[in-house]
Amino acid sequence: MKILIVDDEALARERLRGLIAELGGHEVVGEAANGKQALERAAALLPDAVLMDIRMPKLDGLEAALHLALLDEPPAVIFTTAYGDHALAAFEAHATDYLLKPIRREQLERALGKTRQMNRAQLAVVRRDSGEARARRYISAHARGMLQLIPVGDIVYFKADQKYVTVRTPEGEVLIEDALKTLEEEFGERFVRIHRNSLVAAASIAALERDNAGNCLVRVRGITERLEVSRRHVAELRRRMKAGAEGGGEV
Amino acid sequence: MIINVTTRSDTLFLPDFCGVRMVLALMVIAELLALVLALGALESSDRWADLSVLSLFVQWVALTSAAALCVSRRWLVRCSNHSAALLSYLLLLAVTASVSETAYWVLQSDIIGVSLPAFWHRDFLLRSLAVSALVSAVALRYFYVQHQWKSTIESETNARIQALQSRIRPHFLFNSMNIIASLTRSRPELAEAAVENLADLFRASLADARSRVPLREEIGMARKYLHIEHLRLGERLHVEWGMDTVPEDALVPVLTLQPLLENAVYHGIEPLVEGGIISIQGRTTGGIIKITLTNPVAPQGALFRAQGNRMAVDNVRERLVAYYGADAGLTVVVATEHNDWRYSVSLRFPYLRAET
Repeated sequence: MKILIVDDEALARERLRGLIAELGGHEVVGEAANGKQALERAAALLPDAVLMDIRMPKLDGLEAALHLALLDEPPAVIFTTAYGDHALAAFEAHATDYLLKPIRREQLERALGKTRQMNRAQLAVVRRDSGEARARRYISAHARGMLQLIPVGDIVYFKADQKYVTVRTPEGEVLIEDALKTLEEEFGERFVRIHRNSLVAAASIAALERDNAGNCLVRVRGITERLEVSRRHVAELRRRMKAGAEGGGEV
Repeated sequence: MIINVTTRSDTLFLPDFCGVRMVLALMVIAELLALVLALGALESSDRWADLSVLSLFVQWVALTSAAALCVSRRWLVRCSNHSAALLSYLLLLAVTASVSETAYWVLQSDIIGVSLPAFWHRDFLLRSLAVSALVSAVALRYFYVQHQWKSTIESETNARIQALQSRIRPHFLFNSMNIIASLTRSRPELAEAAVENLADLFRASLADARSRVPLREEIGMARKYLHIEHLRLGERLHVEWGMDTVPEDALVPVLTLQPLLENAVYHGIEPLVEGGIISIQGRTTGGIIKITLTNPVAPQGALFRAQGNRMAVDNVRERLVAYYGADAGLTVVVATEHNDWRYSVSLRFPYLRAET
């Protein structure tokens, strides 16, 4: 089995490498020191299993696992964690594979013996129950072999074309392969549907306008273009804008 | 070296009557008693004259009682509070009786030459004893209640400081164990050092929370902690020490710096891919020591740290205030410059020298 080791502590990775070598029959194809590296290496090295630390800088293990689950052939993920992590109870509750540090060789052997893939829904529930938000904090985009992480808070809108979804930030745009429907499910608290093909960040909406032809348009902070609002979404959009204004904060 | 804060080993409920303040207070109370007695007399030809005689007598009883309690204190201390109460009560009655008796004989003697009726002797003695019995009982009861109240306050304060005992995060413990397990294979000598440092840290965290240590030891403990964290985090963790001008014999509550450093590592360095520098700067001005710990924070963590999750910070602040009162304090500043967020904690406390 091809294994990717992900931990921000070099000595923790070194130990896992040693244990796996002793077990035999597996190959460590690479190491990563944070969640972002993990996604890059996983996309390039195509491991069968990822040993994933939870608490890491930039992108934590749980979120990295969510992104891994988006790959065409997602690897199995075994979480490694120290006592202090809240995720523990969530793992237990959802029968997720996890190993407690310091990891015992027999437990590692058992976990590698019964690896299984978790789908996004399962991971999202584990993540929510471990006290994290159910939604990801970043959107990952692979472009020309490079991995880009876009903070969800920076995103102004998602717009679907035939095959891809355009992710627009004030700085620019990237294409991702996610379906608009699943994005709406994941980020429904932050984004509001304004058209069959677009979701817009509720906090970024500046105003509703009408053009000469009588179409309803939304003006968005940070970008100059206007987005079309389909008639059937106008009422809901107004409601969200009102709720946002009353709440005085982010929607 | 750990210096224990002395608790009151002496638990006698009676205050120390050898002190000037106590004697003065007693004289004031005695004078009030004399006043009450003079005013209370049903018939009197000259109340001022009565008052002066009564004052003389009551003060005499009071001062002799104080002297007797002062001298007998060393024996009373050894008794339980119940027997001490009984003994001091009897002592007070005995003092009253003997002073009354002496007063009678002085009045009758040739120097003053007052002729008193025969029944007066017994009557005077009994009345004095009755007044003394009542007043002494009330006074002893008062001292006892006050003592109880004081010791309740004291034990509550102790319990509060104990509860504030700084705890090392389990996250750190288990990650360190993992590092040690790893080093045992590759570099046993580093593993050995890590185990030794970890043991010292835990010993300190299990020490009496009321202990105070010289600053040099607290700095030593902080270095041991940072050594382990450096093994874990490698090049991501850098530390700058600027404590050269701070007197290293200054007393600080045990584990004052370590929890703050642990915070700096956990919330500051660990969430940063590149890590950063923790700086520890100290200076002394006008007998007050100020130590400032600064660390970088990820922007998304900065506000979170400023608002919540301040257990370690609150804990250290409360312990400092419990020791040093209003002279001590702790302030937190979150600052940003060119999107670089920095978090600093400043401690301030008076310079009290450790006895060596």
